[in-house]
Amino acid sequence: MDILKVNSIVKRFGDFEAVSKVSFSVGQGTVFGLLGPNGAGKTTTIRMMTNILKPDEGEVSLFGEKVGSLQQNRIGYLPEERGLYKKIKVIDQLIYFGQLKGMTRSDSQLEARKWLKKLDAETWETKKIQELSKGMQQKVQFITTILHNPDLLILDEPFSGFDPINTEIIKKIISDLKTEGKTIILSTHIMEQVEQLCDSICLIDKGKMILSGMVREIKKNYGRDTIIMEWDGDDSFLNEFSNIKYINRSNNRAEFRITDGLKPMELLNKASQKNNIYKFELAEPSLNEIFIDVVTKQGVDNES
Amino acid sequence: MNPKSSTSKIKTIIMHEYLTKVKTKGFIIATILGPLLLLAVIFVPILVTMLGADSTERKIAIVDYTEKLGKDIVNSDTSKYFLTNYTPETLRKEVLNGKLDGYLVIPKDFLKRGKADVYTMGGGGIGFLNTLESNVREVARKERLREAGVDISVIKLVEEGVNINTQKITKEGTEKDYAEAYAVVGYVFGFIIYTLMLLYGSFVSRGVIEEKANRIIEVIASSARPFEIMMGKVIGIGAVGLTQVLFWVILSGILLYLIAPMLGGMVSDPELLKSQMMNQNQNMMMPTSFEIPSISPWIFIAFIFYFLSGYFLYATLFAAVGSAVDQESDAQQLQFPIMIPIIIPILLVGYVISNPESTISIVLSLFPLFTPILMMVRVAATPVPLWQIIASIVLMLGSFYGCVWMAARIYRVGILMYGKKPNLKDLFKWVRQAG
Repeated sequence: MDILKVNSIVKRFGDFEAVSKVSFSVGQGTVFGLLGPNGAGKTTTIRMMTNILKPDEGEVSLFGEKVGSLQQNRIGYLPEERGLYKKIKVIDQLIYFGQLKGMTRSDSQLEARKWLKKLDAETWETKKIQELSKGMQQKVQFITTILHNPDLLILDEPFSGFDPINTEIIKKIISDLKTEGKTIILSTHIMEQVEQLCDSICLIDKGKMILSGMVREIKKNYGRDTIIMEWDGDDSFLNEFSNIKYINRSNNRAEFRITDGLKPMELLNKASQKNNIYKFELAEPSLNEIFIDVVTKQGVDNES
Repeated sequence: MNPKSSTSKIKTIIMHEYLTKVKTKGFIIATILGPLLLLAVIFVPILVTMLGADSTERKIAIVDYTEKLGKDIVNSDTSKYFLTNYTPETLRKEVLNGKLDGYLVIPKDFLKRGKADVYTMGGGGIGFLNTLESNVREVARKERLREAGVDISVIKLVEEGVNINTQKITKEGTEKDYAEAYAVVGYVFGFIIYTLMLLYGSFVSRGVIEEKANRIIEVIASSARPFEIMMGKVIGIGAVGLTQVLFWVILSGILLYLIAPMLGGMVSDPELLKSQMMNQNQNMMMPTSFEIPSISPWIFIAFIFYFLSGYFLYATLFAAVGSAVDQESDAQQLQFPIMIPIIIPILLVGYVISNPESTISIVLSLFPLFTPILMMVRVAATPVPLWQIIASIVLMLGSFYGCVWMAARIYRVGILMYGKKPNLKDLFKWVRQAG
């Protein structure tokens, strides 16, 4: 069941069209990646989903109804640029944000304590935000997002500011929430995270949707044109091929895409004449590659 | 989950704003010390002129070459003056040794030329000099009149002071009018409103900027409507101001009705009054008796109304300006146009107090941006006709509505706008654009 439907929304600021006719829908219990380069219109799209901005055209519907004040209580939103009141105690902030989402004071306090404990942060309760480290502040911020048990989570760069250990903790919470049937919208520039977490994505650039669908299908449609190989010896054989696009290359390892009908076997034959090949893999392109590919192509199309 | 209606969201915001502010040390200190400071400003000068006119014991020797006046001067204050035959040189040493505070030398031709010299170690203050001068002047005048052959009874007549008591006509008859005192009351109330509007207005704008600069606003905006966020803040901080004002009103009520009679009694003590009169005899600067007039509860009610309406009018504008900038230092330029109409009435208070019923005063006090201060001053200083009070209330409420409408439109756009520093023109554009 789709719990979020974005139906060709348009938002203009003066003469500038920040979002033009973007449509997608997100099923319950899935993780959806909202991707795009900086300034693509992601934040504006998110603001329309959270009822901060009203679309000039089109409609956003949440849980089967047009998004409004009531739906807001069921959304947990972690903005990319985040912040808390510097001089207010951790517990008081959490209670306030919970109440703003429609919880009673006592429920809010209960949930706040529960999450602080879960994130090993009980001892911060009476501390002011300005006394906490950046990473600790991020944890508190994350709790404000999930405190009210929202059905839809919108997380914009949720892992920024976290060290690898805390990143894993947050990832675990996200996947637990997904198991519970919560729906998650993830906006990030880190494509490995998208590959790990997202079921489907939508890629927007310059306000327009340029790619959308299930991650698996998108990758499949792109075809297996990526070669990862490792060898012992001389790498000069690679220089004989002009229709190779490197993703990364070092003395004994290369990851690249082949174009213009170059046959993978031809390349393998050439390489094995002089070298000892111990890895040769024909892979789907990474999302990162697809992202760069699509966005650059889009740029070229726009200019021509 | 049980979704709550939006009225409870604005209530949540109001409570949050109110509690976080009321609990701060700054608020508690200002609330308690505020009235003490005000009392000090009003009463210290009175007490000082009253008690400190010349309270310190000073011994002044008088070298009288006229051999006439000295005795009378000594009689005007025997505890202070005494006649001496020592030469000025000896007296000089006495002063330097600290045995004497000073000496007055009255030359032979004093009555003709009217010039005498007093020698002291310096200092002593204006009170001391004034007293000495008026003592000598009085004696000299009496002597001159006597030399001119004026009858003693005439001299007595001349010395009678003049004192005009103002009487106010009311339906019940006449009662003592305290026009001057009421003018002071009006000025004090007007000034308090001025201070509070600026202070609490800047709290609002600072709060809005804090939420925007720390990016808290995005989370709040995803939980409540911008109008609720803005009005919640304005009302919450206004409630803080009201708490402070109510505390002050109750406190000053207690002071006026319990402590003032005691103070008044002290001031009208006959002995003190006598010395006061002697100090001031010719240029009557102080009323001969000092009583604290009763302040009608209506004046307090008017004070609360004009404070609240003025605060709300300006606070919404401060919120709008706060929402438009990224950091506090950028706000000043935009705040300037809001602060000017708060400051102008303070410059006009003097005129309005002296002419509270002139057409200009009436028009100025009905101009909504000036009403909070100027109508307050008038209400305190003069009986303002009912229609003017009603007109001011209607105009205030109407302008408040207009300001909220405009501010909400600016706020809605402003809180999400980062990067460029907008000017007034941009703000008006936002008002027109917001749909």
